[in-house]
Formats: sequence, structure tokens, C-alpha cells
Amino acid sequence: MVKIEDLKRINLMKKLPVHLLDIIAKEAQLSIFSTGAQLITVNKKIDNFYMLVMGQVAIKRNITPDIDVILEYIQSGNSFGTSAMIQGTTAFYSAICQEPCEIITVSGDRMIQLFEENHELGYYIMMDVSKRYKRFMDNRAQMIFKTLSEDLDMKEDVYDTWINSTK
Amino acid sequence: MVDKEILKKMLFLRELPDPLIEKIGSIATLETFEKNAVVFHQHQDLTHLYMLVSGKVHFTIQSASGKALVLDKIDEGRTFGVSALMEESSSAYTAICFKDTTLVSIPGKQMHQLFVEDFKLGHILMLKVVRLFKARMEMHTRQFLLSLATHSEIKSLQ
Repeated sequence: MVKIEDLKRINLMKKLPVHLLDIIAKEAQLSIFSTGAQLITVNKKIDNFYMLVMGQVAIKRNITPDIDVILEYIQSGNSFGTSAMIQGTTAFYSAICQEPCEIITVSGDRMIQLFEENHELGYYIMMDVSKRYKRFMDNRAQMIFKTLSEDLDMKEDVYDTWINSTK
Repeated sequence: MVDKEILKKMLFLRELPDPLIEKIGSIATLETFEKNAVVFHQHQDLTHLYMLVSGKVHFTIQSASGKALVLDKIDEGRTFGVSALMEESSSAYTAICFKDTTLVSIPGKQMHQLFVEDFKLGHILMLKVVRLFKARMEMHTRQFLLSLATHSEIKSLQ
């Protein structure tokens, strides 16, 4: 169990009413992870939803066997591993602690169960997760554009280029 | 008002019970757009979400110099503009009709109100939004990583 005040330090939880925070607080626990700890592995099931109280976590994915791209650094107050709360999904990235981290964790399966028991909780969390994904989506669109704009060989149809690459 | 039989063909609403689909149908309208018509522009505040009944819609992003990139191509049965369900959300892309197109149009604020009145409906549909966004975000990230992997400076490292 963690304190409601600790959950309020997490951006995704800030706007949740106290009676919903109380439900999550009872299921959550505070853990310490050391530098280099791999919390999420690409293409594997994610067991926990993570809320970073202190420290820094790198979100990365490889583009070639030798080159990893860090998609973002998670700072305190932010969360990751939201896929743990979506049934039947796997990780799209790896998450690795860049320094000793203090993290609130909740079992993804338990969260899914809580959502089924309390749709108000499910609704508000899914609304916040979708806002977060929207920010990521917009950010990725800008990253694609910036990368291609900087390259002389700019493609006009990213979708077709990508589809062709998957064939 | 839009008939539930049309709405049932939309992937976003599939598996919803009839009474919930009828609720959504009561606030929805059908809109037609000619080829090359813009449904909404990049950076425009989104007020409606759309479901594609017939035709085709392309998502494009545009630079200040006017260069456009096609990010996604939307076929019949798919939903877009779901950011209209979120407060103060603008579009990251322009949605253009690639053919004559018919769309189901649903006001975001009224849909949001339905969710608050019925959290079960809200939970089910927001979970679908999350899955939709996750799939699209992963596609955009793969597109970004591909564009990076084929970038001349990265190629020179290999």
C-alpha cells in the first residue's frame, strides 16, 4: 500500500478524485530499483504499471542490431508501462533505469480487474492514458517530419514507404 | 440521427450492445464530402469524431514550406478524430478525402457527456480509443525508426 499523497505526485493520477485514488493506493507498492535494472523488455508482456517517484528511466528501441534509439527519458512524476493495463498487448519498447529509481508499481492484471469492478475508475484512467498516447503520437509525427525534412531524400508518402518495408 | 445498422459496421463500435449503439446513433449525423475536401486541418481544434462509411481519407502533415507527407490512409469502418473526446485537443494532421466520402460525424462534447452519464460505456469506448492510439503511435514510431534507419547520416555509421 502507498499513501494517496504519493499518488498525487504522479501526473496521471493528479486529477483523479480521492475515492478512486484510494482504490489504487491499496493495490500499489513502492519499490527501489538500481541503475541498469531492466523493467520492461520489448515484445514481452508487461506485468506492472510503473509510476516514477524519483530517478530517471530510458525508453529505448533498436533500429539495427547495433544501434539503439532512446525515444524518451521518463522523469519523476511520469509513468510508463501503460500497456500492462491493456489486455493482450506486449511491450513496444524497453525501459531501463538510468540511476537508482523509486517507483510505485501496480499489477497490470489487478488494474484490469479493478476497472471491471469500477467503470468510473476505468473510464478516468483510460481517458488519461489516451491523452498521453495522443501526445506521444503527435510527437512521433513531428519526429518523422523532422527526420525526413533534414534528409535530402525526403519521402512524400511515409505510409507507403513504411507499408512497403513491412512486405 | 444515424441508423444502428450503419454504426454496427464501424470497428470502433463493434461488440457494443444495441441500446448503447442507439444512444450514440441519436447524437450522430451522416456527412458527405467530395474528393479532395478537407475534413479538418492540422492544428485545428477537433470538435467531432468521424467514422468512415464509404470512400477513403488520408492523414497528411505539412511543413511551413508546404511540403506534405502522407502518414496514414483510412479505409471504410475505421474511426478518426477521436481526440475530440478530449478537452482542448487539436489535430496533429490534416484529414483529406481521397475519394467522394461519407462519414458518420459525432460531436465530441455530447459523446463525452454520454460517457459521464454511463461510465461503463465510457470505459469500454475509451479503452478502444487507447488501443487505437497505441496501434497508431506504434505505427508512427515504426515509421520514425524506419526514416531514421534510412537517414543518410545513420547509413554512414553502418
